[in-house]
Amino acid sequence: MTTKHFLCSVSLIVVGLVTGCNRALPPEAEGVLYCAEGNPEAFNPQLVTSGTTLDMTSSQLFDRLIEYNESSREFESSLAEHWSVSEDNLRYRFKLREDVPFHSTDFFHPTRNLNAQDVVFTFNRWLKPEHPYHEISGGQYPFFTATRLDQLIREVSATSSHEVEITLREPDSSLLSILASSFAVIMSAEYGQQLLNQGEPQQFDLEPIGTGPFKFSHFRKDVALNYVRHDEYWKGPAASENLVFRIAPNDHKRMLMLLTQDCDISPYPPARDIAWLDEREDIHLQTSMSPNTAFWAFNTDKAPFNDIKVRQALAHAIDRDALISAVYFDHAVRADSILPNTSWAHSPTPEAFRYDPQRARELLDEAGYGSGFTMDVWALPVQRAYNPNARLMAELIQSNLNDIGVNVNIVSYEWSSFRRSLAEGAHDSVLIGWSADHADPDNFFRPLLTCAAKASGNNRAMWCNEIFDNLVTNAIRSIDRPTRESFYHQAQDILAQEVPVVPLAHSIRFQASRDYIQGLQPPAYGGINLRSVSKVAEIERGEP
Amino acid sequence: MSRVIIRQLSLLLITLFLISLLSFSMSYWFPGDPVTNASGIPIDHPRYEEVFEKRGFDSNIAHQYISYLRSLFEGDWGQSMQDNSEIWDELSLRLPATLELTVIALAIALCIGPPLGIIAAKYYRKPIDQVIAFISLAGYSVPVFWLAQVTILIFAVVLDVVPIAGQINPLFDVPAVSGSILIDIALSDIDHKWIAFQNAFLHIVLPAIVLATAPCVLLVRFTRASAIHVLQQKFVKGAYARGLSTAEVMFKHAIPNTMQPVTRQLSTAFSVLVTNVLITEVIFSWPGLGNWLVRSIYERDFPVIQHGLLVLASIILTVNVFANILQAWRYPQVRQEFYAR
Repeated sequence: MTTKHFLCSVSLIVVGLVTGCNRALPPEAEGVLYCAEGNPEAFNPQLVTSGTTLDMTSSQLFDRLIEYNESSREFESSLAEHWSVSEDNLRYRFKLREDVPFHSTDFFHPTRNLNAQDVVFTFNRWLKPEHPYHEISGGQYPFFTATRLDQLIREVSATSSHEVEITLREPDSSLLSILASSFAVIMSAEYGQQLLNQGEPQQFDLEPIGTGPFKFSHFRKDVALNYVRHDEYWKGPAASENLVFRIAPNDHKRMLMLLTQDCDISPYPPARDIAWLDEREDIHLQTSMSPNTAFWAFNTDKAPFNDIKVRQALAHAIDRDALISAVYFDHAVRADSILPNTSWAHSPTPEAFRYDPQRARELLDEAGYGSGFTMDVWALPVQRAYNPNARLMAELIQSNLNDIGVNVNIVSYEWSSFRRSLAEGAHDSVLIGWSADHADPDNFFRPLLTCAAKASGNNRAMWCNEIFDNLVTNAIRSIDRPTRESFYHQAQDILAQEVPVVPLAHSIRFQASRDYIQGLQPPAYGGINLRSVSKVAEIERGEP
Repeated sequence: MSRVIIRQLSLLLITLFLISLLSFSMSYWFPGDPVTNASGIPIDHPRYEEVFEKRGFDSNIAHQYISYLRSLFEGDWGQSMQDNSEIWDELSLRLPATLELTVIALAIALCIGPPLGIIAAKYYRKPIDQVIAFISLAGYSVPVFWLAQVTILIFAVVLDVVPIAGQINPLFDVPAVSGSILIDIALSDIDHKWIAFQNAFLHIVLPAIVLATAPCVLLVRFTRASAIHVLQQKFVKGAYARGLSTAEVMFKHAIPNTMQPVTRQLSTAFSVLVTNVLITEVIFSWPGLGNWLVRSIYERDFPVIQHGLLVLASIILTVNVFANILQAWRYPQVRQEFYAR
């Protein structure tokens, strides 16, 4: 029986070791674990488009000139204490704070605080091809190209040591929104110069220096990104000493890691598990509306979609509430305007898109299509935040339209040829959508529905309306918010009347966290901010 | 004995040569440009010309192969096509992580497998044997990915005693120097090393046990079969007849004879282990070779696939050869077999 004793003692030792080992952390290793859904592409938000990278870099490492407050829907001062706009709406002056220190790390010790030179340096990097850093890391600045800011800004200059002036080529009131976006962060000119002197400019985007609440510590691809607190942060130090982003691309794995406390915060839990997570006491679920819209666009160049009555009929024929529960599992809200309801210019027109098959049939009769017709619905072939399953949506629309005598063929191609054919206008109608680049309502009108957008191949409705064009152009030329608001309301009324697109849904973003996490805000527009996040102290929550 | 060693080592060299030839040919077999497939440098890259010449692509295929070998020995293994990281740097961090897991799992398998097999044989056809035989058959039939999921569910999600991802809680500021977490903790200058070791231990215990299962049950089955055979031999009966105690019979006579065929299966167990480590790493997010290799297959990252396979094949091969040498040294009978013309 000695062998039995031996086995028993071995298993006892193993059990004892496992249970005896403590998962508690020593005081210097306290911090917050955020499970991110991918590796960051770069540590410079100027270079990227992915939300993952923005979440991990922008608000943690850097600051912007101004910020957008989602609750008040107003711009707030950040690095710029205050700002003013000239009479002709072409020159913007920003007065900078004088008490903003940069990160001091092993690889860089700043000798001065933030000043106007840093702002000029940062803007000129993407604005001027002759800037020493323009070509570093590929020379692509997708956000600034997409918003045409590189065309819009004539010059950025320092008018004094702590004042910057941005001169535009033409008035554009979306400038402040763009500057408040997570892409427009300010970096250190001194660090740039130091790296140039050392002959290692590529380090600029790998070992970042900013003014934000956390400092870069180290990064291991596929494993984790470690930040430590920036104690001299000008808004006051962050609540947590360490912040670690763990890389966990699989959503199911992320959820398991949340359950086993391998993560404290996890974005994008799997849709099928959200109801279950919500019931658990130890998990908090937060939501926020994503600034995106899924819509159904008609090719208004083609018959019968050039007839307003046909478009109105189709809009009344589909049951959007049923689409939302089937396609989004109710993780979206119905869209009653192309503009998300988080926008200050939002003006809902639910009546225009009400589900009313009877009215739809009458309208088709009036248009002379009482006996019905056959049409194509193109369903986007990839998953997008605004539309997780366009194919299913197309099938539901197919059955809806069948009720009013319209036959539907569902069409889908591989994504790149899909977009190319769309730009050429080969479609009858398409299920697609738009995610905003920045908070300004203009982002949902000019790039999507103007005559210029039709010419550049981004207007999925191939729709060109002069009155609408004038309204959105006037809106962007004026600075005054009430004036702009009235322009945008008129523009949305035209869309409700003309129905070039049927807005379908604005999706909801989810974020799950453990119950001992405090100070976490719902996922905000364009990048989370983890400055105020910390764990509740061990004593308060008892033994883990 | 030296004849065996020379023979085995030359066999190793020849096989390594064949593997390197295979790995080299992969650059041509994969779709796309062979220079890009070998080095990860795309055609429009400014360094392309330089790499083209350095890898001998301006000359004949023999020259190319020699340049390929030279690059291998210089540590110039090219870069990943996905993220442009240097394959050698990445590999030298990931291989130790994989080896750490493998060695610990192998140790667990060796500590548990053969003793259980001998116990089962000693109590042949008694309840304890039936239990062990049943467990080993069940363990043999269970695929590793399923076992991993079930153990995660039980020990991590329900009982909540172990974590499920990575080598250590990343809040411990342990810089990756060697890649093996236990060594890295020992090398680091953090304050609470003992707590860090405990944390790392909890991280490694579940993947190591899951990984150890397959080779362990394999060893149980081999040992049991071998020991049953040995215990039926006449010399065992003779030993008992001479009045030796059970312990003396077992430890002096039965076990040494049992282990002879079992050691020959060690390299099989190791191969099973290396195959399973790839899957285990993915499930437990272990930052090792397997995780990297599986992703590179998804992403068609040819230079990574090529060099990852080369390394894995070489490791299995080397372990095999050294297992052979060990046996030949330990067991004269085996040595005789190797001598056979």
